[in-house]
Amino acid sequence: MQKINRRDVLISSVAAYAVTGLNTAQAHATPATYTITIHKFKFDPDHIDVHVGDTITWINQDLAPHTATADAYDWDTGMLEKGQSKSLLVSEKMTGSYFCRFHPNMKGTVIIK
Amino acid sequence: MKIKTALLAAGIIASFAGSVQANDPAKLNDLEIAHVAYVADNIDIRYAHLALAISSNPAIHTFAKTMIRDHTAVNEQALALLAKLNAQPQDNFLSQSLQENAEKLITEMSALRGAAFDKFYAENELAYHKAVNDLVGNAFIPNIENAEVKSLFEAGLEIFRAHEHHAEKMVSEVN
Repeated sequence: MQKINRRDVLISSVAAYAVTGLNTAQAHATPATYTITIHKFKFDPDHIDVHVGDTITWINQDLAPHTATADAYDWDTGMLEKGQSKSLLVSEKMTGSYFCRFHPNMKGTVIIK
Repeated sequence: MKIKTALLAAGIIASFAGSVQANDPAKLNDLEIAHVAYVADNIDIRYAHLALAISSNPAIHTFAKTMIRDHTAVNEQALALLAKLNAQPQDNFLSQSLQENAEKLITEMSALRGAAFDKFYAENELAYHKAVNDLVGNAFIPNIENAEVKSLFEAGLEIFRAHEHHAEKMVSEVN
């Protein structure tokens, strides 16, 4: 059996760190797209963690029109009728809670990592 | 009888003429149920337009606009489904009773102004949605035969329940 010395362990650790670091950097460098379904008067998922530069798409599957609107009103999908969707590019200001302007009991959160 | 009692108590229907058996909401066929739903939707849209004309309360306006938007969407889907099924909704005792009582309520509400109107409108919306949701959930959906019509009513009930919760909030805001 091959003997593993401290130097080998150190090299492996550095290599693993480098690979992990590369993957993390790639994940941030490549924007992701997330989909939030609006169904039965709920945002699904109702909480999402994203990065600046990612895209969030809201799709309304309900009969009733809905919106996804920031509590502070600084971003808004506008009215989404049944089957309609709207994609928004994530910016710093999007972090926080949002709701449906037409049905205020519907709530969700976007958190910028 | 429970549903009739709820409708009467909420002032949704004026009275039932004839025998109990002949005027049982649970005995309506799919096309009669569709007619009741269409009439009920349009009544709430009329109440909402009245609220937008008379009230200056932002909470009332938000709710009224939602009623117009949502009930119009439900009616459009209902009409599209009836067209697809090549069917016509059928007028019936319950549609007529709903309509008759709505006319009285609109006359009564039209004479009110300010906080008195807001309170009346909000409380009527809560009572109306409670009673109609009871009717749709307990008398209509269990008895609808056509699967597509049943599915539409189930989707409609989701909407009307959300309206009931919204109306509860509106009532607490105007009181």
